[in-house]
Amino acid sequence: MKRYILGRLLQTVITLWILATVVFFLVNVLPGNPGRTIYGNTAPEVVVEKYNRQIGYYDPAITQYGRAMKQLFTLDYGNSWRFNKPVSSVVWPAFGRSAKLAILALILTVPIAILAGRFAAKRRDSLLDRTIVTTGLATSSLPEFVTGSLLLYLFCVKWKIFKAFADPPAGTSFFGQWRYLLLPAIAMAIVYFGYVARMTRAGVINALNADYTRTATMKGLSPRQVMNRHIMRNALGPTIAVVAVQIGYLFGGLVMIETVFNYSGIGSLLLKAIVQKDMPVLQATIIMIGLVYMLATLAADLLIAWLNPRILLKAS
Amino acid sequence: MTEAIIPGAAAVLPPAADPTAPLSERKQARRENWRLIRRRPGFIVGLIISLFWVLCAILGTHIAPKSPTKFLAKPNISPNGAFWFGTDKLGRDIFARVLVGAREVLVVAPVAALLGVIGGTLLGLLMGYKGGLVDSVLSRLVEAVLAMPTILIALLAVTTLGKSRFVVICTVAALFVPIVSRTVRAAVLAERNLDYVTSAKLRGESTMFIVGREILPNVLGPIIVETTVRIGYAIFTVAGLAFLGAGPEQGSPDWGAQVNEARQSLNGGIWWPTVFPALAIASLVIAVNLIADSIQSVLEA
Repeated sequence: MKRYILGRLLQTVITLWILATVVFFLVNVLPGNPGRTIYGNTAPEVVVEKYNRQIGYYDPAITQYGRAMKQLFTLDYGNSWRFNKPVSSVVWPAFGRSAKLAILALILTVPIAILAGRFAAKRRDSLLDRTIVTTGLATSSLPEFVTGSLLLYLFCVKWKIFKAFADPPAGTSFFGQWRYLLLPAIAMAIVYFGYVARMTRAGVINALNADYTRTATMKGLSPRQVMNRHIMRNALGPTIAVVAVQIGYLFGGLVMIETVFNYSGIGSLLLKAIVQKDMPVLQATIIMIGLVYMLATLAADLLIAWLNPRILLKAS
Repeated sequence: MTEAIIPGAAAVLPPAADPTAPLSERKQARRENWRLIRRRPGFIVGLIISLFWVLCAILGTHIAPKSPTKFLAKPNISPNGAFWFGTDKLGRDIFARVLVGAREVLVVAPVAALLGVIGGTLLGLLMGYKGGLVDSVLSRLVEAVLAMPTILIALLAVTTLGKSRFVVICTVAALFVPIVSRTVRAAVLAERNLDYVTSAKLRGESTMFIVGREILPNVLGPIIVETTVRIGYAIFTVAGLAFLGAGPEQGSPDWGAQVNEARQSLNGGIWWPTVFPALAIASLVIAVNLIADSIQSVLEA
């Protein structure tokens, strides 16, 4: 187990390093002049020059790369080129808002999807099973902005049930905020429902056909006991993996959902940073999303290994 | 989803697919699979919808009743007899724009998917057959790329390298290569130690021959499945990029770009410029996934 954990940790670090390198190369291809961007077209050349020299814009590529690597570990990306304040003070609040949305989406998706998948597996090939499977396939293949736009039209424009803006006015109570977040969260949940439900269904079907299930039934356990103690425990492994990968996708999909619903989370911050060529914010947000993604997968792998130690044998 | 392909990999083509077997037997197995696929309702529905959009993409401007780019009427007219889907904020016919919009995505997405599959197949064959250090190093790299959110990296690449079709195709293809390679690698691993490979080695065949003529035909099943799945994801990604403003030129009738341009007026009750292109994307993506799902369930049964 120890060896497995160490191996996975090392792999995560390597992945993060590759991600940071890819981002570094892409960002440095972009023509841009940070000093000019910050001070505007009317600023005297001297001021611009001075700023550029200060942030190391003229340094050789290898020095800049070294700096990018250092930033990766300190998560300190200096000042935003646009907001004129530390990147962290821009990124963290946006990250918090996105996390709130993502958590709400997960809370909506996971229990319903697992129940639906289990239900479908128990009634395999029935009409209901087919409906769940096909609906899941359809909704999970849709891009988030399509689902989001259609929901926005139905619930905000046609039926006027929800607000079209996800950002609650300042001072809204903790519970009041959820009302604003519910529709974007539902839009994300619809996309992720399909993956989780299908994976649970496949896991349960596998477990239903397994020898241990037959043994458990033969020794006289009630169907409920067989389901809870034997089937679900084995079937949830792949489901957990999918949920973890979905946490990563959730953060990726946030870019679209936040744009559709005008929500000021990390996704719309990233998009803004790209449009405005705000490199420090851009690097910080991508690394942040990548980090969440990798930590989620890491946590899932460890959880699965703990639930089902046979994985360790295969890995070593 | 990629994991699910692996266990069935060896069983994709029945033993008849052994390259030493008479060709007719392999052909027969293929014909049988094709017959099973054709019988699935999902496949038929998906195929009809996809073909409709392919037709629109090819004929486009010829079948559209009006020009998709000219300013024909007042802006934001709701759907009526003259303008079936209404007009957008510049007074352009949305029906024509939706029909012609199929072209953009259906040129870019399948090409990107195919390039990604070809690259991924080559890489996967190399990793699976060579094994050893090459495989370990490449596997780590592949895992790293897989751990990145595709759409974000694509978005970053397209905005930095330029918003041309060429860049979009290359970026999406490059992001697909590792995903495909992992599937192919797993399929090759299952084949590599089978007797027919050993006997080919003993016959003294070259590596190129063994990989290309012996192993490749036997891992075609998962590759075909992966291709259809990838086309679906490519449409997803290309439409998403267009929506985020990293698509083709402003004003060109692309579905994702249309949704993006129109979404601000949605709150004012002007729903038609957003809803129709969004439904077009939805129908195409679902259709392609229905096809992919049908092929997958037959080839992996």
